[in-house]
Amino acid sequence: MRGLIAYVLVAGGLATVLSGCGGGGGLTVINLYNAPQENLSKIVERCNELAEGRYRIALNTLPRDADGQREQMVRRLAASDPGMDVLGIDVTWTAELASANWILPWPDDLREQAEKGVLKAPLETATYEDELYAAPYNTNVQLLWYRTDLMPEPAETWNDLIKTAGRLADEGEPHYVEVTGAQYEGLVVWFNSMIASAGGSILNDAGDRVELGKPAVTAMRQIRDFATSAAANPSLSNTQEDTARLAMESGAAFAQLNWPFVFASMVGNRPDLAENFAWAPYPGIDGPGKAPLGGANFAISAYSEHPTEAFDAALCLRDDESQLMAAVNDGLPPTIESVYADPAMADPYPMRDAILEAIKTAAPRPVTPVYQNVSTVTSALLSPPRGIDPAGDERRLAEQLKDALESRGVLP
Amino acid sequence: MTGSGDVKAAERRLGLWLCAPAAIFMVLVAGWPILYSIWLSFNRYDLRFPQDQQWVGLENYLTVLTNEFWWTAFGITVLITVVSVSIELVLGMGLAIVMHRTLVGRGLIRTVVLIPYGIVTVVAAFGWFYAWTPGTGWLAALLPDGSAPLTEQWPAILIIIGAEVWKTTPFMALLLLAGLALVPDELSRAAAMDGAGRWKRFVKITLPLMRPAIAVALLFRTLDAFRIYDNIFILTKGAQNTGSVSIITYTNLVSGLNLGIGSTMSVLIFITVAIIAFIFVKVFKTGTPGTEGRR
Amino acid sequence: MTRSRIQWGVLDFVVVAFALIPVLWLVSLSLKTPATIADGGFIPTEWTFDNYVNVFTEGGFLRPLVNSIGIAGLATLIAIVLGTFAAYAIARLNFPGRSIMLGAALLVAMFPQVSLVTPLFNIERALGLFNTWPGLILPYVTFALPLTIYTMSTFFREIPWELEKAAKMDGASSFQAFRKVIVPLAAPGVVTAAVLAFIQSWNDFLFAISLTSSERSRTAPAAISYFTGSSQFEDPTGSVSAAAVIVTIPIVIFVLIFQRRIVSGLTAGAVKG
Repeated sequence: MRGLIAYVLVAGGLATVLSGCGGGGGLTVINLYNAPQENLSKIVERCNELAEGRYRIALNTLPRDADGQREQMVRRLAASDPGMDVLGIDVTWTAELASANWILPWPDDLREQAEKGVLKAPLETATYEDELYAAPYNTNVQLLWYRTDLMPEPAETWNDLIKTAGRLADEGEPHYVEVTGAQYEGLVVWFNSMIASAGGSILNDAGDRVELGKPAVTAMRQIRDFATSAAANPSLSNTQEDTARLAMESGAAFAQLNWPFVFASMVGNRPDLAENFAWAPYPGIDGPGKAPLGGANFAISAYSEHPTEAFDAALCLRDDESQLMAAVNDGLPPTIESVYADPAMADPYPMRDAILEAIKTAAPRPVTPVYQNVSTVTSALLSPPRGIDPAGDERRLAEQLKDALESRGVLP
Repeated sequence: MTGSGDVKAAERRLGLWLCAPAAIFMVLVAGWPILYSIWLSFNRYDLRFPQDQQWVGLENYLTVLTNEFWWTAFGITVLITVVSVSIELVLGMGLAIVMHRTLVGRGLIRTVVLIPYGIVTVVAAFGWFYAWTPGTGWLAALLPDGSAPLTEQWPAILIIIGAEVWKTTPFMALLLLAGLALVPDELSRAAAMDGAGRWKRFVKITLPLMRPAIAVALLFRTLDAFRIYDNIFILTKGAQNTGSVSIITYTNLVSGLNLGIGSTMSVLIFITVAIIAFIFVKVFKTGTPGTEGRR
Repeated sequence: MTRSRIQWGVLDFVVVAFALIPVLWLVSLSLKTPATIADGGFIPTEWTFDNYVNVFTEGGFLRPLVNSIGIAGLATLIAIVLGTFAAYAIARLNFPGRSIMLGAALLVAMFPQVSLVTPLFNIERALGLFNTWPGLILPYVTFALPLTIYTMSTFFREIPWELEKAAKMDGASSFQAFRKVIVPLAAPGVVTAAVLAFIQSWNDFLFAISLTSSERSRTAPAAISYFTGSSQFEDPTGSVSAAAVIVTIPIVIFVLIFQRRIVSGLTAGAVKG
């Protein structure tokens, strides 16, 4: 009994003390909400120094998974929460947040600064209806990573990959090509690149009508052929970026389609395999393909109480120096072209030229406020890849996407 | 001298006063959210476009109830619920008996058995995910080469059921143990002296006396099982038609920001669960404690 | 006698294996180095304690742990106190609204929590409770109450209340009768309800992730989803497994402390009839 009372007093005391702790006094605090990034605090420190007392950036981390990040931000934005100022948003969220008027368009003078020297494709991911809604921060492209001891010349098309896999299987060598084929955004990314490589797209440019058509059938057929060939890992329908990386590092695969983070990891974990580890452009249907494009940008919340300072902070957080730090310390490719030429980039990014080339032809994902719906419907229909029926599924997908665009119907 | 009427009135007042704090708590915290959810289900409401919100009556219900995705999820949920709860009842009873009667290491057993229940669900699910992933996992290594159970519908469902059973059998065992302990030893001993075997004693004496405890355990476990989410989300994310009604609700409500459809699904889940509870209470006469009269 | 002991010993072993093997797998994952984490073996070939260190240094796991212990503990305490009153009334007294009470408790327990999160979030934000300890304690108590009320009332119903009268006739005062006769009989039910309520609150993920935004009130399960690997795509398997092991330890302690009460209470409660 006495123990119980003691517990209550202690817990109650702890509760009061701990819940009372607040921030510093006087200084304008700009709340940055970003995905977990190991060395982001260094960038924040630098920008706080440069702010010279006008404001102080407080770093708040969001959950690791992209869906969790979006969920938290959207919930608070929908409630007009003034507690968020600068938001690190994924490239696919710009249209959604902008059309709901949850993020601010950038004023012309600041827009110039944010756009200076930025590569074209990442810049477009931060734009919606001709207005700039976010300052480009980092970008990402997928490349074909392969083992030169098993595939001396990199394949240019998916059919080449399948043929090579068949040959390796006959020789009793590792014959898997890892792709993100699980029922999630990664599958949509794969399909999107395929349909772009076939010359088509999922939606029209305005993002309000379904396109698909023959390129979609071609893309679906190619995916199905790959998924039923010797190149496909049986776990294909459960493979995400990290599973793909691990499979290649364990020696089960001779190639993978993945983001550049796998390079540093391979060098660190399997130096023996890293000796024969090379990269090549994303394969296509009839020739080189259009690589998937990823990345993140900094947007300003429409409910921020200090928009001027927030814009200033965002500009600093993604300027040349910050992008260089993010690239070298955290493996996030820059969006400002000149940063790639920096000598510090040479060691961690031996593939930087390949990245720049890939960005030039990369396939951005459909720009629409209901991108989340589009993604959910598409990944559900295309899963598992080996069960795709190209003609029938193209029709079904077109119907379901039509409903999804109008936010009608039930998402799977 | 007080009349019996006064005593009854005092009892009524006392009863109401004792229940009041708990009742107030539940009404204040859960009351408005529940009512708001129900109201939302009659509206077309996309969180991104609050100005487009409008009353549509039962249209959302029609949309959901005629949709194949909903019924697939519903069927999977019912299957997982029935199978896992049945297994848990049997295993839980066995576990409760061991916890109650073992002659060796009783304290150890009782502590160890609660560990699966105490582990954070998503983290345990994570362990199962890695255990069944070919290459990474020790369980996957026991299967023939080239099989990836989590990528196919039925093997994945079996794995999900396995993860559920492992996690919540201790819960059943605990509730059953409380009931088991109230079965008087003398009855069993008397029956044994009359020549009844162990199994017969169990079935004819122990089980009937444990009926209230079994019923409560089944009720709460079924209510929870029907709303399964964490295990499925980590193991398959609902891919390949392994999603439950909770998963599809989450997808529509939180990912799709479709408050109307999402709330409709919530209400439908609630109605289903209420029907299950109703069946338990009316048909199996589950302990609505006190309805069988005071002792 | 020895043969029974051996039989029980074997059964015990099976039970312990069933309960612990998946946990040991998590321990094994938490001790593996990043290079060997995908090697598929149950026992690590290369060991490291780095994951445990990282969890506290880079993951900042200490504060969430404290939050979890405090919030779950306080929520359980409140739920038990309020639940005991209600359970006693339901089990022993006749009053109007008894069925309504039970019905309301069931309603709260049955309504899908996912759709309650956003309205709760809006209310808490308006009241300034977002990202605070009470902000989580209130929902936890609310959702633990049905469980505690049902568990305890079922238990209380089985208690032979006449024993109290008998003790009083033997000369004990009301309070003595209550303390020496009723309390030991009720204790197992209360303890069982407390264990269930604590584990339910400890385990919660949905409210923890939605109603908190910083270390101030984020609990351990939610904090685990903030761990990061060395890049945005790498799963921090080692850290998550280490955190899983750490987060289980308070549960083990909690159960160790209370299981003896269950033992003594249950064996005493079998004296009946």
